[in-house]
Amino acid sequence: MADVAGPSTPSRKRSRWDDDEDNTPPVEKPVQKRRTKSKPPAAGDTRTPERSATPTVPPQNASSRARPHHSLFVPPRTAHPPLVPSRSVYCYERLNSIEEGSYGVVFRARDKETGDIVALKKLKLEEEKHGFPITALREINALMVCKHENVVGIREVVVGDTLTQVFIVMDFIEHDLKNLLSIMPSPFLQSEVKTLMLQLLSAVAYCHERWILHRDLKTSNLLMNNRGTIKVADFGLARRYGDPVGVGGLTQLVVTLWYRAPEILLGATTYSTAVDMWSVGCIFAELLLNEPLFQAKGEIELISMIFKLLGPPTKETWPDYNTMPLAKTMTLPAPHPAQLRQKFPYITAAGLDLLSRLLAYDPDRRISAEEALKHPYFSESPLPKHPDLFGSFPSAAAGEKRRKPDSPSAPVRAADYKLLTEFD
Amino acid sequence: MSTALYPLASLAQIRNTPSRADGIPEDLELDLRAYGCKLIHEAGVLLRQKQVAVATAQILFQRFWYVTSMKQFGIGDVGMGALYLASKLEECPIRMRDLINVYDLLLQRAAHKLKHPPAPAASTSTTLTRTVTHDFKYVPMSYFGSTFYDLKDALVVAEMQILKRLGFNVNVVLPYGTLVNYLRLLGLTEREDVSSRAWGYLNDALQTPVYALYAVPTIVSAAILLATRHLGIALPSSPESCWWELFDADWEDVWSVAGYIMRLYRERSPQDQARVLGLVSKKAVRAWLDDHQPIAPRS
Repeated sequence: MADVAGPSTPSRKRSRWDDDEDNTPPVEKPVQKRRTKSKPPAAGDTRTPERSATPTVPPQNASSRARPHHSLFVPPRTAHPPLVPSRSVYCYERLNSIEEGSYGVVFRARDKETGDIVALKKLKLEEEKHGFPITALREINALMVCKHENVVGIREVVVGDTLTQVFIVMDFIEHDLKNLLSIMPSPFLQSEVKTLMLQLLSAVAYCHERWILHRDLKTSNLLMNNRGTIKVADFGLARRYGDPVGVGGLTQLVVTLWYRAPEILLGATTYSTAVDMWSVGCIFAELLLNEPLFQAKGEIELISMIFKLLGPPTKETWPDYNTMPLAKTMTLPAPHPAQLRQKFPYITAAGLDLLSRLLAYDPDRRISAEEALKHPYFSESPLPKHPDLFGSFPSAAAGEKRRKPDSPSAPVRAADYKLLTEFD
Repeated sequence: MSTALYPLASLAQIRNTPSRADGIPEDLELDLRAYGCKLIHEAGVLLRQKQVAVATAQILFQRFWYVTSMKQFGIGDVGMGALYLASKLEECPIRMRDLINVYDLLLQRAAHKLKHPPAPAASTSTTLTRTVTHDFKYVPMSYFGSTFYDLKDALVVAEMQILKRLGFNVNVVLPYGTLVNYLRLLGLTEREDVSSRAWGYLNDALQTPVYALYAVPTIVSAAILLATRHLGIALPSSPESCWWELFDADWEDVWSVAGYIMRLYRERSPQDQARVLGLVSKKAVRAWLDDHQPIAPRS
């Protein structure tokens, strides 16, 4: 949806970036140009025209037969997608690899038909003893269910020659927030933090509304394009929540350590949406601090860091603390109040209130994404900045390099700094 | 509730299913679909699997035959793959070995039934199965034999093919919640017989292709229609105020779904019953095609 709304902005920024970059290898250039040209016809429809046109009943039929008002919950028969087999991966041309993780490799690729640049995530399927991995199923399902402006869009799933080659095709997004934070010369402004948080919260609210837990929210899983929009990505640990919970409850082996909620650390097997909200709190803090909030090496260290920052849990802040499976193994430090104000001296009272609600001990009382969206922090000055006013940066994932400084005299850090401000 | 739209077969896919294009007659295809779903159901019962997983498997199974011919894959293998996949989708995975054992038993039982057809004197279907199971004895797979590994390979391939041929869109919406809502709206929750009958029709409809053809509200309306008509309960049905319009269902569609369901209960000849038992594998289907279509249908 977002891509439909603003195709003009990106192409302008893109081309300016192209002009700036004189020393790119010649192969890259036509790719970029082709993309901007062929984008408009494809923009209206995310699927390729050929695929959606053939099998469905022509929509005129439906409108002429016109039962005037359909319930919102019962879309017309023609709105349902047809049964379409997966296309071949050879519909895409491989450009460069973006990153490799435990789950597989991510490539940047181009749709041969439309010229769209996409990200192809290859699933690792070689050593599967239980057929198609359930985690990959959850990821694909979650992405298909959570179609939202701030969730990375899944286009399709394509297959290679053998049954072990499966690729998830997603929209290509230039940056991840983690990388961006590390190359940015200064942290985000308050107005920018608000915009990012609103986007993140609306994505999380959307997923939770559709019964999906993300379970791995962190800055490196938030992608950001050059139009100031972030997209939640990597649903590799996502799963449906609610009833039934599944055999043996939910696993504690979720969420990257630094973003892991205290109830998971203490062995809960029935956690819910609140674990994502804790991660959102950690991300909020990271945006403010320009570095991760809890950089612990192990679970014990993480717990003690949390206790130190927020004060140990009390009967007030976490009534059910003692029912947690691992609570008995913990020794609580001497009670002391939360140190949030000392850690975040420059944030407003409303901002601190939101942070403390996100980092609330009691999962039942932790603020929900829906509530957080209405928090006064977002309506006080400075107001959230319009996404179009965000700066753009060279994309490491697209293989774009920062221009080498012309004058080699300055020390490395200073040169870097100067260079980055140029793009602001 | 997920609002993502579940896929339904397109007009072209309905007009000429891949199996029909390969020369399998329509009634045989419907019989095989129904029998494949019965096997899934029986396996689900034996595995004590949850009904949500079994129903999801049956719906995926029905969808699959709109993109694949029964000449290419057997209903046994695909049913097994569908149940395995659906169990993961519904967060209640089952062990491969358990599933394979259960299917081996079901297939052996089918083969036995085919070899020793029940005495024609027996009248009701319940006594039929009873006499059959009496002399049927299951022989477990040999530990060192290849049966297990053959079935396992077939299972893995079937699961992957279902995913691939359905474009990995395995979003399934089950009808039960909608039925409860509609019965509440119609003020029928007091009549337990209506609820249980309609619920039963929804389950039986899983053996027909309707879940791959129509939206859930239409199918639920058909189940309510059948239940209320059988029990003689009048609902507003004259033009201007037809109850199914409340649920955005078209009369023609509701009637068609009801027809699909009622067709399941018609009297079948012993030949028809025996025919499906022998066509569980693609090999058997191919042999059947060779026998029955000496004149090639293709020009």
